[in-house]
Amino acid sequence: MKTFAAIDIGSFESAMKIFEFSAKTGMKEIDCIKHSLDLGSDTYAKGKISRDKMDDLCHTLKEFADIMKAYKVEDYQAYGTSAIREMENSTIVLDQIEQRTGIKLSVLSNSEQRFLDYKSIASKGDAFQKIIEEKTAVLDIGGGSIQVSLFDNDTLVSTQNLRLGVLRIQEYLNYVHPRNSQYEALVEEIAMAQLATYKKIYLKDKEIKNVIVMDDYLAPWVVKASRMKGSGVIAGIASDGSVTPAGLEKLLNYLKTHSASQLADKMDIAEEKVILVYISAVLTQRIAGMMGAERIRFPGVTLCDGIAYEFAEKHKLLKNVHDFEQDIIACAININKRYMGSRKRSENIDHIATTIFDSMKKLHGLGKRERLFLRIAAILQDCGRFISLTNIGENSYNIIMATEMIGLSHAERETVASVVRFNHGNFDYRGQMGSENKTVNRSSAELDKGSYLTVAKLTAILRLANSLDRSHKQKLEGLKSVLKENTLVLTTDTMEDVTLERRYFESGTDFFREVFGVQPVLKQKKNF
Amino acid sequence: MAEQKFYAPEYYVNRELSWLLFDNRVLGEARDKNIPLFERLKFLSITSSNLDEFFMVRIASLKDMINAGFEKPDIAGMTPSEQLEKLSEEIHKLVDVQYSTYNKALRPQLEANGLKIITAHEDLNEQDAAYVDKYFEENVYPVLTPMAVDSSRPFPLIRNKSLNIGALLKKKDGGELEFATVQVPSVLARTVPIPGDGSLKKIILLEEIIERNMPKLFLNYHIECAHPYRIMRNADFTIDEDEAEDLLKEIEHQIKKRQWGEAIRLEVEAGINKKLLKILKKELQLDAENIYEIDGPLDLTVLMKVYGIEGFDHLKAPKFTPQPVPELPEGCDIFEEIRKGDILLHHPYQTFLPVVDFIRQAAKDPEVLAIKQTLYRVSGNSPIIAALAQAAENGKQVTVLVELKARFDEENNIVWAKMLEKAGCHVIYGLVGLKTHSKITLVVRREEDGIRRYIHLGTGNYNDATAKLYTDVGLLTCTESIGEDATAVFNMLSGYSEPLFWNKLSVAPLWLKNKFLYLIGRETKHARQGKKAHIIAKMNSLCDKDIIAALYEASAAGVEIDLIVRGICCLKVGIPGISEHIRVRSIVGNFLEHSRIFYFENDEHNELYCGSADWMPRNLERRVEILFPVEGKKQKETLLHILECQLKDNVKASILCNDGSYEKQDRRGRVSYNSQESFCQEAMEAAVDAASTEESGSRTFIPRTSHE
Repeated sequence: MKTFAAIDIGSFESAMKIFEFSAKTGMKEIDCIKHSLDLGSDTYAKGKISRDKMDDLCHTLKEFADIMKAYKVEDYQAYGTSAIREMENSTIVLDQIEQRTGIKLSVLSNSEQRFLDYKSIASKGDAFQKIIEEKTAVLDIGGGSIQVSLFDNDTLVSTQNLRLGVLRIQEYLNYVHPRNSQYEALVEEIAMAQLATYKKIYLKDKEIKNVIVMDDYLAPWVVKASRMKGSGVIAGIASDGSVTPAGLEKLLNYLKTHSASQLADKMDIAEEKVILVYISAVLTQRIAGMMGAERIRFPGVTLCDGIAYEFAEKHKLLKNVHDFEQDIIACAININKRYMGSRKRSENIDHIATTIFDSMKKLHGLGKRERLFLRIAAILQDCGRFISLTNIGENSYNIIMATEMIGLSHAERETVASVVRFNHGNFDYRGQMGSENKTVNRSSAELDKGSYLTVAKLTAILRLANSLDRSHKQKLEGLKSVLKENTLVLTTDTMEDVTLERRYFESGTDFFREVFGVQPVLKQKKNF
Repeated sequence: MAEQKFYAPEYYVNRELSWLLFDNRVLGEARDKNIPLFERLKFLSITSSNLDEFFMVRIASLKDMINAGFEKPDIAGMTPSEQLEKLSEEIHKLVDVQYSTYNKALRPQLEANGLKIITAHEDLNEQDAAYVDKYFEENVYPVLTPMAVDSSRPFPLIRNKSLNIGALLKKKDGGELEFATVQVPSVLARTVPIPGDGSLKKIILLEEIIERNMPKLFLNYHIECAHPYRIMRNADFTIDEDEAEDLLKEIEHQIKKRQWGEAIRLEVEAGINKKLLKILKKELQLDAENIYEIDGPLDLTVLMKVYGIEGFDHLKAPKFTPQPVPELPEGCDIFEEIRKGDILLHHPYQTFLPVVDFIRQAAKDPEVLAIKQTLYRVSGNSPIIAALAQAAENGKQVTVLVELKARFDEENNIVWAKMLEKAGCHVIYGLVGLKTHSKITLVVRREEDGIRRYIHLGTGNYNDATAKLYTDVGLLTCTESIGEDATAVFNMLSGYSEPLFWNKLSVAPLWLKNKFLYLIGRETKHARQGKKAHIIAKMNSLCDKDIIAALYEASAAGVEIDLIVRGICCLKVGIPGISEHIRVRSIVGNFLEHSRIFYFENDEHNELYCGSADWMPRNLERRVEILFPVEGKKQKETLLHILECQLKDNVKASILCNDGSYEKQDRRGRVSYNSQESFCQEAMEAAVDAASTEESGSRTFIPRTSHE
């Protein structure tokens, strides 16, 4: 039995959920406290939070802390999203919050936030697992952008961020002052321009069975309607909070044919929120239509569920968790594929690099997460070739930095990209000096000491792995790696000629030695 | 919403007139010869205090409306001035009956039973007169403030609700008649016993003692006449919330000031000197219709004091002791018992003690993390407050919502709210713009298999004193779905957002009315489909237009509707095509009917609810109220049994007739059945049964200690 609090400081609402984890019941929500607090408009307009809002936020967090104390909560995780992220002075604000309330607030990058959203769906357990065995899209509709992730056969295939957030669209609509009857067409026009490209590049002719919708607008209401007897607004919403395309069409029609005040009354929401629900519904309907989905599902989960799920995952409090790492790897493989990278080669390097990594655990002291970085770097190490065969390192770096990978924070992506870059070019030692020369060498300069060392270690391993596949012919099969005193013995039982590899191997070991103080030795054991 | 035709004003009764009918029914109890004499005194006293409150709140409101030029008709289509006119007529009739009851029935019988109330000092014998005069000099005289009026001394401010004696004086050396007044001090008991021998007890009213001794107050004057009088003002009271919103807008509109301090009623002794009356009338600016000439002592609430006189127990109803609850034997672990299943409590037949113990045990229990409670009207010296304070001191998170807007006991509330705060409780002083009327307690407990929530929901206040007099039901449960809702209720009361959805509870002012309309509408639908449809609803008052219209629509569709409405009922029965299927009864008994229970047939899947709300606009729209379903089979049966017994009652129930009057049932040839008495009986039997099964269930032998 463990109690945990998940806090989400969002742009319009601050929420805390209290959870209980137990072997018997798994993850159980005990309390949900929400407080409307508009931080977004301050941040987005002025870049800073006003004093009143700051006081309100601290007051709320202090109350949250009291509630946590009352429940004897053992652990908590507090995250701020875009409103905090985009504050100019977020570091100062975060420190002040901790000083005043004792709550340590961390900031989520977009991709981390989306990953948690995605985890929140996973917190639904088996139901989720079953759904994503079929071709499924997760549509995460936010204020500024939407995230579309595709699943097939249990793993994530692609994920893409589109700047089609509900608030963004609303802002645009406000600007043009449309008539009511124009709304739908306008939303469609704005959306379709981007969606068409998306379809061409990512969706192609994939047939999607399920669309899982996460948003703060339409989903809560659908969930509510599905749970409340006698709300009697719309037929066709199943008790699990899902609808058919026809049902969605009907729902949209209902929204179209009623005035905002009627809807506010019927749906029991604030009148100004009605338009957001409408935009969200149009987006959902168009995207689901484009994908040819058979069922649109609204799991009714929030970021807090994702935070709790992540916590449970980390502390091994749940049985049968979804393998998110596999999703990230799958994502990387797909990016590599998009840039015409060789799948076989990346698999090979991935294999060699992890073999080396695993044999050196004692020495490098890196963990599971870093192993994941190494794998991603190995998979993506050649993606820059797509642009030009010279300057692969820089090109790869830029591609990785420009491609969102769900589940990796910005800093983590930076680590991966740097490893790939230094794999090809010279290692940049300036990073250890801190922020010097920031503009010239942005990448390494921004890494802190820990990340700097991680980059160095992973680069060394990746370089070594790379040198073992110089010919790109995957000659080294059955590679074994053993650490013996001051040497790392790599043994291969390949029958092929490894002269080229041996040559490159020797040149690649310098940096490896420099980083680890260990001499790698390649041995070929021919079994005749 | 029901069809427009069901909203026609002629289908509705003015709520004030309906309230007067209620006071009349209470008066009926005072007139009932089958009731012990002293109980009849009590009922008569209640009619009087009821009427006072009615004046201060309702009549004052109507006056305000008229002053503001607000002429919006009520649901029955009556404008404020029409209402006042009709009310004045009816109140005069009511007062006449009050005093004829007192003079012709009660007073003679009191005397026959050995208690003489001297209401005219002229009736005193010499010996008693001497005692009274001595009492005056020693006790009364020092606290009196006689005030005369002349050109240099203006007419004094006569305090609201105070009893006064007005007199006309003439200087002993001649001159004009002058007006003087003296307040009968409220610090002294109004009934003064006169010591005597023999079996006859005598008491005299304080104002008579003063009247008799008036010359001592105005030494150089000759007292021409002296008579008691009493006024009521609309000064100190805010407008009743039911009209407030519209009215305040209107006042703003017209930029008219409310006339504060205006006298709205004058009660004088019958046969008062005409000149004296004229002066009072002029100075207080009162119309003739607001003057009540009273044939007897003013302010009959004094009879409550008479009720308290010792030695007449045989003329009072035997005291009923609330019975133990079978599911909760003395000394049990309440939490353990609740875990076994929901427990329904029926007060005052069953004791309120488990509710107090629930909080007491929670305060001491080391596993309890938090206690949250709403408090509306609490008794002075409440054990609940003490337990909450102790819980906070024991380090539990205690959240208490204290409603300061509870009429007439604000001061009282502030005192103990401060005390709770000192003890470390988180006290919320009500919500802006809303009264919190719901009665809910949540105890959060950490148990082996996780957090468990225990909830008490009730129809009555957490007041151990009134719980002995008011009939209420309460539910103790640890159902998870209700627990989640209860947590959400307190989150809302603490200012956080509402939950996405409610599992079981319906909460006013946001959702409750719709829930009721839905439940009524569902019966209507079933009736139209030819299914059996039935609603039984018990409450204190029914005056919400939308609910009544929905009931009319249901009745028109063929739904059978039985309403047990103690007080105001703005609905009419027997209107062809509108309300032929509706029956209304009102039960006025020894205990004040206070529980709200709702039964809906729901096509043979009947649903039963209890709650804190009446079907009144103020309950449904301007208060925080909770309606909760009772779902256990046994508990549902108990509730249905309560309703059925009350529908069977032919002693204390009055039936609303087609002409709008209330009549007691004709009992000829039928066994009389008093539901409140029967509940007492059942509670006692259940307690005895429980005690005996407990004994027989015990594994130890009980040796006899003596030979019989």
